[in-house]
Amino acid sequence: MASSESIRSGAAGPTSTSTDTDEVDLVAVQTYWQLVRRRFLRNRTAVIGLVLLAFLVFSAIVFPMVGGDAWYRTSLVHHPTDPVSIDAPLGYDNLGRNIFFRLTKGLQTSLIIGFFAVLIITLIGTTFGSISGYAGGLVDNVMMRVVDIVLSLPGFFLILMLVAFIGGIVPPMMVIIIAIGITGWTTAARLVRAEFLRLRESDFVQAAKALGASDSRIIIRHMVPSAMAPVLVAATLGIADAVVTEAALSFLGYGIRDPDASLGNMLTAAQDYFYRQPLWIYYPGITLILVVLAASFVGDGLRDALDPRQKLEA
Amino acid sequence: MATTRGAQEALLEVVDLRTHFATADGLVRAVDGVSLRIRPGKTLGVVGESGCGKSITALSIMRLIERPGRIVSGSITFDGQDLLRLPEDEMRNIRGNEISMIFQEPMTSLNPVYTCGDQIAEAVSRHGSLTQREAAARAVEMLEQVGIPDAKRRAGEHPHQLSGGMRQRVMIAMALSTNPQLLIADEPTTALDVTIQAQILELMKALRERNGMAIMLITHDLGVVAEMSDDVSVMYAGKVVESSDAITVYDRPHHPYTKGLLASIPRMGARRERLDVIKGVVPNPLNLPSGCLFKRRCPYAMPICDNAPPLRLVAEGHVSRCWLAPDGGRPELGEAPSAAEAEAAALTLTVANP
Amino acid sequence: MVTYIVRRLIQAIPIVIGISVISFAIVYLTPGSPIDKFRTGRVSPQTIANLIRVYGLDQPLPVQFVNWFTHFWSFPFNSTAWGYSFTDGLPVRDKIFGRAPSTLLLMGTSLVVSMLLAIPIGILQAVKQYSWADRIITTFETIGYAMPTFWLGLILKQFFSVQLKWLPLYGQNTLGKQGDIPDMIAHLILPVSTLAVVSVAGWSRYMRASMLEVLRQDYVRTARAKGLGPARVIGRHALRNALIPIVTLLGLTIPTLLSGAAITETVFSWPGLGWLGVQAVGDRDYPVVLAVTMIGGMMVILGNLLADVLYGVVDPRIHY
Repeated sequence: MASSESIRSGAAGPTSTSTDTDEVDLVAVQTYWQLVRRRFLRNRTAVIGLVLLAFLVFSAIVFPMVGGDAWYRTSLVHHPTDPVSIDAPLGYDNLGRNIFFRLTKGLQTSLIIGFFAVLIITLIGTTFGSISGYAGGLVDNVMMRVVDIVLSLPGFFLILMLVAFIGGIVPPMMVIIIAIGITGWTTAARLVRAEFLRLRESDFVQAAKALGASDSRIIIRHMVPSAMAPVLVAATLGIADAVVTEAALSFLGYGIRDPDASLGNMLTAAQDYFYRQPLWIYYPGITLILVVLAASFVGDGLRDALDPRQKLEA
Repeated sequence: MATTRGAQEALLEVVDLRTHFATADGLVRAVDGVSLRIRPGKTLGVVGESGCGKSITALSIMRLIERPGRIVSGSITFDGQDLLRLPEDEMRNIRGNEISMIFQEPMTSLNPVYTCGDQIAEAVSRHGSLTQREAAARAVEMLEQVGIPDAKRRAGEHPHQLSGGMRQRVMIAMALSTNPQLLIADEPTTALDVTIQAQILELMKALRERNGMAIMLITHDLGVVAEMSDDVSVMYAGKVVESSDAITVYDRPHHPYTKGLLASIPRMGARRERLDVIKGVVPNPLNLPSGCLFKRRCPYAMPICDNAPPLRLVAEGHVSRCWLAPDGGRPELGEAPSAAEAEAAALTLTVANP
Repeated sequence: MVTYIVRRLIQAIPIVIGISVISFAIVYLTPGSPIDKFRTGRVSPQTIANLIRVYGLDQPLPVQFVNWFTHFWSFPFNSTAWGYSFTDGLPVRDKIFGRAPSTLLLMGTSLVVSMLLAIPIGILQAVKQYSWADRIITTFETIGYAMPTFWLGLILKQFFSVQLKWLPLYGQNTLGKQGDIPDMIAHLILPVSTLAVVSVAGWSRYMRASMLEVLRQDYVRTARAKGLGPARVIGRHALRNALIPIVTLLGLTIPTLLSGAAITETVFSWPGLGWLGVQAVGDRDYPVVLAVTMIGGMMVILGNLLADVLYGVVDPRIHY
């Protein structure tokens, strides 16, 4: 108490009109992002998610490098029945390929697709949503009808169609990224638009306008950064969706095809070994679950950290 | 019972009630040693700033405190039995029957998906042996009693079809439908327009006359208290700081906090540049100062205030939690009792309430 | 209410046109033509030219679109409204109508099962918030929600069909037992469980959150202040309010079931619309693909409408 006493007397200058508040000052010193980081790190689930995500990304980068072409190289020497070893912790598949390295290669594929698909989603969504929200009126109305139309299309079918129909001419990974990207941006667009509608009337945007800032400058410098918080949350959660969608496509035989490695096509292959190698469907499946869990833990943690109102309830 | 000693039997006697909340940031002692007394058929005004623990006291009496809150100690004697020792199902028979409560927010206190008539009838049939039809008729009758025009039609309407003042009337109708001995009204007019406020207060007065019930009126508005109350208890930071009959509190307030509250009421005719406002804010409940909780905001603060003052008898039927002499002057040096003495004094004085 | 529904349906027209244009564009603008598979050298150029003419592929695209779109809506009276399947030459409409009951059966059963489980679970969790039961259920929900349906389907198949041999591996009926109800129920168990695990995980979380939100409301305190017991406070005052967002969400979710079904139906070779659609995409059976996409889009629109109508039914504050 003595310390807050001294803070108060220290701050009391001739211009100080505030009634003495004891505890508010200390908190206000921190910036918004410091606060967000602190809240995020205090959330146990979020931190677990972050560590898990870091571990998965690390695995996806390092093991495929360590393993060289082990994920791809078939072998007549190695068999599914070989005992597991340091070289092949998960054994070999029916073509004598190293399952562990195949799995990490598949994880790499998944994460690359997840990352770039979400990048496209965010870029399209943010651009679309900011124009719509900033323009308002008729433009906004028409643009939102476009969102309604895209939302009304059966998402997975659309992606499946795109991947199947244009898959032949573009590398499969790129097709999947594009297909997920151009069908999945509506949520981001709606979030950004909602923020823009709110921000458009806010004091600081009005002030920027009064000072004669151009529209594009106001959008890019002032409004987009403020609207990014919900988009960041949606993007993190979106990675999980994209990874699962890729796996489903590949599982159905339309995405990444053998011999390229994907968590989805490893599952398809494992189906033929239900009896003899029952564990094979668990490796890619559990990896998938870990990716989804990591992304959703981090996403939920970000949402709680970014929105102090929700934190109060917990 | 020792606690019912006094000029008149009490209908409700709260002694040394403590209700604490275990929050993530620490223990909040929302109610910390509150003693109150309500006489049958009389109105006790409980006054204080928001966050002083008035509502928590009321909810404690109703035993409606929810996690992370907990009634830690004290006793609440109603009609000769300690409510805190009753099993939950017996308490449920008292709740809404012998003690009813109305809340600050009429807009949100009624269930949006059921009709007003349904919600009143539910209270009636919960505590009586009426048929559904009789309960529904009683609901309409109650709506008429609280001055709702076209009561029959209104009974069939949903809360969103009514204005705030009307909804508070419905709440009052619901509370009074079981003829309670005690009505706890938690800021019943705060959320309403000024003209509606007056109407609701008039209504409560009229119904008090008719039903002969006691009222515990919780408010931050001393004007409302003046109009309604026989007795007044002033609360600050989870404790009662002053308690007496209404006239005494208004004419000869003892506690500096009460004086501050009274000075901050705008008065007709009094030409002042600005209202006297109590400086500062209520202390952070997680970080209460030692000694007197009001000392940092108190114009009379003196060294002795570093010791917590007990609730002391300053005049017949008038107690105050302040070190100032009974006449309001500075106490003589050395008059301060030790902490243990203060504790003892506080205990004896809580039962010497008006 | 009726005028509201009519107005909403009229408002949906531009969206239906938009869906049609996009679906049509994807099918017809992507490289490769449906008749490519006949260009093997064994089919005479004359035949190919005939096919192109028969399917109207020689017309300009906008004309093809208008032809297809206007023709499409005559389906109630005209079995050829949606064209003929490229794979077996059957009218697409009849193919779709033939598959729809299977999808409805699967979706309907899993929806009912999910709700019957999720609502009580969510209520229990909200009422006993932070109890060990709540924590354990929350953990299961988190894992269940993170499970990809097709993987879960595989696991269940491996365990119950392959290893334990309790349940059939795929299909809707054992060969030669068409219409045998117990046989069909046995076939239904695994796909329904697959869909239910994931959706129970999701719905009970919603229900928990919704219930927690409602339990904080002033009117719940009012109900308790009336002297009502927990059963009545929760079962009457809180539940009805907590179900409002659930009912709304339900309408919005029904359409996504088709996409979810596509994968589950394929895993279990369940002869529904979803599996048909996946197969049609693989076969480049464009008329079927278009019809399935259109039906999917229409389900979204009707689902949204249903959500709003239900919202009006369960919430007296909403009037149309």
